[in-house]
Amino acid sequence: MMDDRFEQWLREAAQQYHRPGTTPREEMWREIATRRAARRRWIVVRPVLRWGVGIAALLALGVAIGRWSARGPSSAPQQTVANAPDHASPLPYRLAAAQYLTRAEALLTGFRAEARAGEPSGQFATQARDLLATTRLMLDSPAANDVRLKSLLEDLELVLAQIAQLPAGADREDVQLINQGLEQRSVLLRLRTATPAAPTARAQGVL
Amino acid sequence: MDERELIARVRAGDGAAERALYDAHVDRVYRLACRLAGDDELAREFTQDTFVRAFERLGSFRGEAKFSTWLHAITTSVVLNGLRKVQRIRRREVDLDDAATVTGTRGSAEPDLKRRLTQAIDRLPDGYRTVFVLHDVEGYTHEEIGATLGIETGTSKAQLSRARAKLRDALEDFRGEWVS
Repeated sequence: MMDDRFEQWLREAAQQYHRPGTTPREEMWREIATRRAARRRWIVVRPVLRWGVGIAALLALGVAIGRWSARGPSSAPQQTVANAPDHASPLPYRLAAAQYLTRAEALLTGFRAEARAGEPSGQFATQARDLLATTRLMLDSPAANDVRLKSLLEDLELVLAQIAQLPAGADREDVQLINQGLEQRSVLLRLRTATPAAPTARAQGVL
Repeated sequence: MDERELIARVRAGDGAAERALYDAHVDRVYRLACRLAGDDELAREFTQDTFVRAFERLGSFRGEAKFSTWLHAITTSVVLNGLRKVQRIRRREVDLDDAATVTGTRGSAEPDLKRRLTQAIDRLPDGYRTVFVLHDVEGYTHEEIGATLGIETGTSKAQLSRARAKLRDALEDFRGEWVS
């Protein structure tokens, strides 16, 4: 009897518990529609990106084959060994790696600075997605014959994937986790060591 | 229009059907999000997340349960996971509030029943609180709760009973309210 009274009283009193106001129907729908449209765009853009990456890979391969055939197959090994004994990959790949590493360094430095100041903008996620595709290409290319570069590329792939998946308005803990990963694996330090001081100038001089 | 037909049209990419499905369910989803989150801003976020996720996963809805049950399952999952994240950040603030409440309300001349009830429900373990809110506040049946939370009907009943017992203990100071 007493239990029944309590339950009835509780049900009535609990109607006030976090009582909802009017549903902000239009405001929420606008946000949902925006997010849905952004995802649709991403789905449409992805195949285009894949084509772009494929074309870039073909071009890189073409350059490498062209250089190899210009030197002639018999003289190439001796010349390569004599001119560049400390490099495991052909010049075009080293140049591509230098440019890629410079972009990655700029992205991560900016990300870390904004994370310290507050909340990093969603622009970083977009840039990270772009760089991710290049990272995979680099890992599959002769540039990854260099053991140190390969290890750096693998760490970069992980960090870039985390940034790429960071939702807009991500909480501080998610951002901190990424920064911790950067620190623990000394990614920025290794990037700075691996990146030549003026890659573009050097590349132009060599070419 | 029949809801099945509406869902089929959403699957086919019909934007107007998406809006119609949203309009049909948004009040209940927002209401549930508010009750569980206790914060308008969070409730808005969770409602938006629920619909974005539901539209994306509509292909996996096989129609074995009611659409509303499927949607409310997504809602509770989104809200409870979201709250866990938020609670980690808020824990320190809540601890400070609790300390002030304990010393301030016991034996005070005009006890605030509404506030104490809200705090008592907020302090229930997640499982108890969810079942209590769904059943006693929002009026779901144990069968609906079982389908929504993916638990047995008996588990739902047991959790509700434990939730009520805990609330009764927590509100012992107000015994006169239901005895009289």
